[in-house]
Amino acid sequence: MSNNILNFSMNRSTNVEKINAADLRSVCRLRDSLTDAEVTIEVKMPDMEISAISGHFRHAYLEEVKDLDERLQKVIGVRVGSGMLKIIRGLLGEEENLEQLVYMVEECCHGVILMLTKKVLLKAPDDEAGRVAFYSKMVKKSIRLYDRCAAFAKGTPLVAELEAENVGGEA
Amino acid sequence: MLEFMRNKVVNVARLDEKTLSVHGILDDSIYSLEINFKVNISDLVCSAVEGRWLRWTTPECPRALTFLEEAEGFCLKAGIDEKIHKTVGRRACRHFANLFVECAYAVRETVKMLKWQAALKEDCELTFKLFMLNGGAAVAGSSVVTGKQKASSGPVTGGSEVVRQTPVRRAVSTASAGRVPAPGDFVIDLHLHTSPASPCASDSVDAMIEEAKRVSLHGVCLSDHNYVWSAEAVQALREKHDFPVFRVNEIVTEQGDMLVFGFYEDIQGIIKLSELKKQVAAVGGFIVAAHPFRGFLTFGADDVGLTSEKAMVREMFKWVDGVETLNGKVTATENGLALEVANGLGLPATGGSDAHDISTVGLFATAFEQVINDEEELLAALKEGKYRPVTFR
Repeated sequence: MSNNILNFSMNRSTNVEKINAADLRSVCRLRDSLTDAEVTIEVKMPDMEISAISGHFRHAYLEEVKDLDERLQKVIGVRVGSGMLKIIRGLLGEEENLEQLVYMVEECCHGVILMLTKKVLLKAPDDEAGRVAFYSKMVKKSIRLYDRCAAFAKGTPLVAELEAENVGGEA
Repeated sequence: MLEFMRNKVVNVARLDEKTLSVHGILDDSIYSLEINFKVNISDLVCSAVEGRWLRWTTPECPRALTFLEEAEGFCLKAGIDEKIHKTVGRRACRHFANLFVECAYAVRETVKMLKWQAALKEDCELTFKLFMLNGGAAVAGSSVVTGKQKASSGPVTGGSEVVRQTPVRRAVSTASAGRVPAPGDFVIDLHLHTSPASPCASDSVDAMIEEAKRVSLHGVCLSDHNYVWSAEAVQALREKHDFPVFRVNEIVTEQGDMLVFGFYEDIQGIIKLSELKKQVAAVGGFIVAAHPFRGFLTFGADDVGLTSEKAMVREMFKWVDGVETLNGKVTATENGLALEVANGLGLPATGGSDAHDISTVGLFATAFEQVINDEEELLAALKEGKYRPVTFR
């Protein structure tokens, strides 16, 4: 049974580039054993609003999305940021043949967020003590990071300062 | 020039008659990580989950690997994504969760193909498309689900699956956050969520009201997401707790979340803010832009160069009657930007904790100059403008 031949393979790639001094283009491409799809968004900065969108979707058994271009335009004006996922899903719909496209719009948006995150992370010092101080300061500045993943979990070194200043004070 | 790239590769192979082997790789400008696990073909339950970091950011990221075992036993049918985000994402790392979601998708697609290949043995002319259109998807644990099925198989809000935010007080200085209440003020937390009305909240309405009483607030507004409390239910809560309880509907628009007072229509899905404004204006309601500059985990509005002057021209501010300038879920910088915009546009400012559990009830609130006895008085007071956002707790 185990002939080492793959039954299914998937490649998804998301790229973000500047299209002028400020604005961004984010492209998500999917190629897997059943699907060939692509979504491109343009994001106006600094508002981070989706200003243009296009895409295509071919699938082995799912029907093409009728009026795809028109459907995608519904997300124009949506801001990339907190709360965007429920807005994008709500605007584009939940039909089965739209599921991947909705996911890919989200992936494009995540690409933009990660690009901006990368700029912040580049400021982290190289030495261990400096990095601990950098990320401790980050969680103090953005409380939403607290207890949101293993690195910033309750009781761990990077949140020790925050907990000492706040939770300890409340006890 | 390319500023960021993320590549994800997922491969699925058949290990034996009953088992799939899944290998996922996420490699981007920031992170590089891998996942390996097995899946039962019959029920899509996964096991032997292992992860590996190749590149990461914080010194504590490697801790995430320990928590990947929490995905053991997950059934990877459609609807599992939110559970993956809430467990793997919250306890381990959101990037492992992102890759795990891709792997789950790949598994479902693989099983569809395997079922079709099995069916081909009986009907060698059966096309994949025809097989799926004839219900092959149901056999294969496919992604074909109705909205109802999705709701039942989506976020798990009961029992041990609930991911609670550990209580912690906001690290916001009083000076930067706003004024404190003055003697004689009537202080209401205009923004809080309760469970189960808001799926993202974790404490009951009774617990939230009791906490509001304990911290000496004068009233609370129940602002559950797209959920309209009945007047009778709220009256019953007032009597039960002997405490002023009001209603506000937090409605999702294409421009973000809006706190809507004096408007009790049950809006589901996403509504255009301009359309919402028409409907709310028709009944004399009042719209407050909730946390208008809520930003990101690692950077904020200031990091992308957003100034109050640029923000003031946003379409959102043409349609709202007020701006929430103290919100307990955003940073001091983001609240500060909201205040600058409200002041610049001459819009009244409100405050609310946006609490989703008792630990932050009343963190921020709105201080009114007069006693508010009922929702009519609350609406009238909001329109009159004699109030201000305050740091309360």
